[in-house]
Amino acid sequence: MVSRRALVLLMGGTAAAGAGAAAIWPREAPEPPAPPAMDAQGHTVWRNWSGIQMAYPQARAAPANEDELADLLRKSPGPLRCVGAGHSFMPLVPTPGTLITLDRFDGITAHDPVALTATVRAGTRLSTLGRALAAIGQDMPNLPDINKQSLAGAISTATHGTGEALHAIHGNITGFRLVTADGKITDCDAVRTPELFAAAKVGLGAFGVITSVTLRNAPMRRVERLVRLMPVEDTMHNWPALKAQNRNVEFYYLPFTGTTAVITHNETDQPATPRAPSVDNDTLLDLKHLRDWLGWSPNLRRTVARRILQTVPPERVVGEAWQLLSNERSIRFNEMEFHLPAEVQMAALREIITAIEINRPDVFFPIEARAIAEDDAWLSPFYQRASGSIAVHAYYKEDYKSLFAMIEPILRRYGGRPHWGKLNHLSKIDFASLYPRFAEAAAVRKSVDPEGRFLNDYLQRVFVS
Amino acid sequence: MRHAMCIITLAGFVLAGCGAKKDPVPAADILAARHPANLRLSLLYGQSCAACHAHAEAGAPLVGVGSDWQARTAQGDAVLLRHALEGYNGMPAGGQCFACTPDDIAALIRFMSTPLPPTAT
Repeated sequence: MVSRRALVLLMGGTAAAGAGAAAIWPREAPEPPAPPAMDAQGHTVWRNWSGIQMAYPQARAAPANEDELADLLRKSPGPLRCVGAGHSFMPLVPTPGTLITLDRFDGITAHDPVALTATVRAGTRLSTLGRALAAIGQDMPNLPDINKQSLAGAISTATHGTGEALHAIHGNITGFRLVTADGKITDCDAVRTPELFAAAKVGLGAFGVITSVTLRNAPMRRVERLVRLMPVEDTMHNWPALKAQNRNVEFYYLPFTGTTAVITHNETDQPATPRAPSVDNDTLLDLKHLRDWLGWSPNLRRTVARRILQTVPPERVVGEAWQLLSNERSIRFNEMEFHLPAEVQMAALREIITAIEINRPDVFFPIEARAIAEDDAWLSPFYQRASGSIAVHAYYKEDYKSLFAMIEPILRRYGGRPHWGKLNHLSKIDFASLYPRFAEAAAVRKSVDPEGRFLNDYLQRVFVS
Repeated sequence: MRHAMCIITLAGFVLAGCGAKKDPVPAADILAARHPANLRLSLLYGQSCAACHAHAEAGAPLVGVGSDWQARTAQGDAVLLRHALEGYNGMPAGGQCFACTPDDIAALIRFMSTPLPPTAT
């Protein structure tokens, strides 16, 4: 979005104009303290991607097939927790018992070229699934921003993507296979197991282990990706039209700049174009440098940023959707994201921007706004509700707790439901009030896991107490 | 003093491109084709490490690009392994390879940090 050269010029101009202005974050924050690589018993540490969740599981398992998985679910010490890509910020995975990876459950096992369905092993990473589906002429209608997740992890946490008329990933599945704590394997779908299907589709890994998923896909199409910088007031005013007119649309508000980056993807028959290497990571670091140097003066920070940003041309790329919708995000961060009723999304965002720009000059990560259609999964944040998402991020080395503590009450006041994998402080009583079918989902969960073998400390707080 | 800080930082930007000599980045298909000979390690590498270490955009030290690894290997094998297991900077703990043992991680570091000619797979 913003070239490194532009930022170098920006800093040069700033230094000349504001000679004497000190950077308020002059040095890189230190690396957060790491836990020991092993505990006293010799168990290797597990940490999530951002590093804030950790555990020393006494057993790790990478089963090769359902029989091996069923056997270990019966015999291994609990809590039994599956890990996908480790991208959840909430403590869904930590266990002192058994940590299971489905990395060996990889690839497409069957597909129907007429119905456009594909059955995919649950450990398949989204980064490889797109290419594999393209080879059979299929495409997932929606994809999240990051491509590292496993398919099972993505649906189990209601990982989404964006598009007013598009479902989150779990909204496009027609069935899955579930191995429960007793080793039983169940084919779940809306006809044979309607309650289990509705409850466990977004199941947090608390019902059992999903081993394969059947996706209802779309024909593979090229899409045109456009990235345009727009004043935040224009973007917020036009958000309903932007959602109606574009297949996928999202925007990032660049804090203290008054500017948004609006990203749209629409189907096209135009020929594919070369795509230059992504500059997203550079842009993020540039925003950090802008904060480091001009965080002491929000007005100057905004003025200088606008001067530079107004020179940035729109970006246009044409390619297959799976190539363009998901991205490499190698700069680690922590994140809070809530899904709100679509009609209040912009009002909530306005409050959040104001709160950050008055109170938190340290914020430099863009604030993300997306849209998702309603669905019927009982534990889906989009259950019977067209939703607008708002996500706030913090660099992994910097304080996220006080920032998110300031933002969360705003999101909750607007009726937000948290992304299951992203930071929040809700517990069972909150979920019960936010999800109309929560009690039924919890009852179904208990019926397939009566001993709570899949419940770690956090999931106990979600489902039990 | 403050003025000096500005100049130093500016100089840092200007000099950023003039640092230690960097080996050429191999083409994407060359990077993608580099895999450990050992089948088990190759599977682990493909499922985890390659997501960052075989893609120039990810910003991680690239497989077989010796200059990317020099400063890291200079710290010693033990430090590098500890950083890999615990997580450090852009590197998430264990490379998010959940089936990897510490010995696997050490072997994968050796594989990735061994320099290769830019066209070799």
